[in-house]
Amino acid sequence: MAYELLNGLSSAEAEQVLLLGARVVVPPGTSLFRLGDPADRLFLVERGRIKLTLPVSVRGREEDILVEERAPGQAVGWSALIPPYRFTLTATAALQEAELVALPREALLEHFAGHPAAGHKIALNLAVVLGHRLHLFQTMWLREIQRTVHTHSV
Amino acid sequence: MEMLLMGLCMAVFGAGVAAAAFGAATRTESPSSEAPPKLPLVKAVVPTRFFSEHVATPAAIPTREVPLEVLLLQIENHVRMEQAAAESFLAYPTQAQLHSKTNSPFVN
Repeated sequence: MAYELLNGLSSAEAEQVLLLGARVVVPPGTSLFRLGDPADRLFLVERGRIKLTLPVSVRGREEDILVEERAPGQAVGWSALIPPYRFTLTATAALQEAELVALPREALLEHFAGHPAAGHKIALNLAVVLGHRLHLFQTMWLREIQRTVHTHSV
Repeated sequence: MEMLLMGLCMAVFGAGVAAAAFGAATRTESPSSEAPPKLPLVKAVVPTRFFSEHVATPAAIPTREVPLEVLLLQIENHVRMEQAAAESFLAYPTQAQLHSKTNSPFVN
């Protein structure tokens, strides 16, 4: 399995990082974490898909609306590495059971301190993940603004 | 003599008046008579309202509501389509890509 967060690490380095974590199995439709929960673990998707949702009020009811989906090899829950360490989305296993590697923040930070080269590569990979998401949402937001402008000018 | 003449005059005058009245009463309309004068058009009288001149518009007819499950599915598909459009823009950023319209039924 190639994990986006472990890109550029040797297989030995990657193995050392993976040994820090524990496997977590999430039944379909079950939450891995919810919006606002303390974020103390970073997850790497091993199997299945994880839906990331945000609450939206629809006809007076609060509904979890999909904003992104994470597939095997991708990371979930980078809020564990960024203050204030609170999840900003709800993560739920999609239609199938999902399996993830849960990496505790404290163990990761300790490992980075002992292996700065690996920590540096992981930090860069994390920046790529965050940058991509930022660009993605910026584009979606701009398209939404454009649509609103169009609607108001017609 | 004068009285006789006066009575005769009165009788002739009375007969004339009677004849004119009879003629007026019994005159029929000829088909070739002039067209009746055109009357100015008057707008239909709208009954005024007692408290207000404002005419209340009928309540909007509720459109058939999309079931919640369908609406949620539409939103989810919309997000997926928008993400695909955003991914496409990030892979090859052009203004046309950025402003391309969506076919998503959620916003159309």
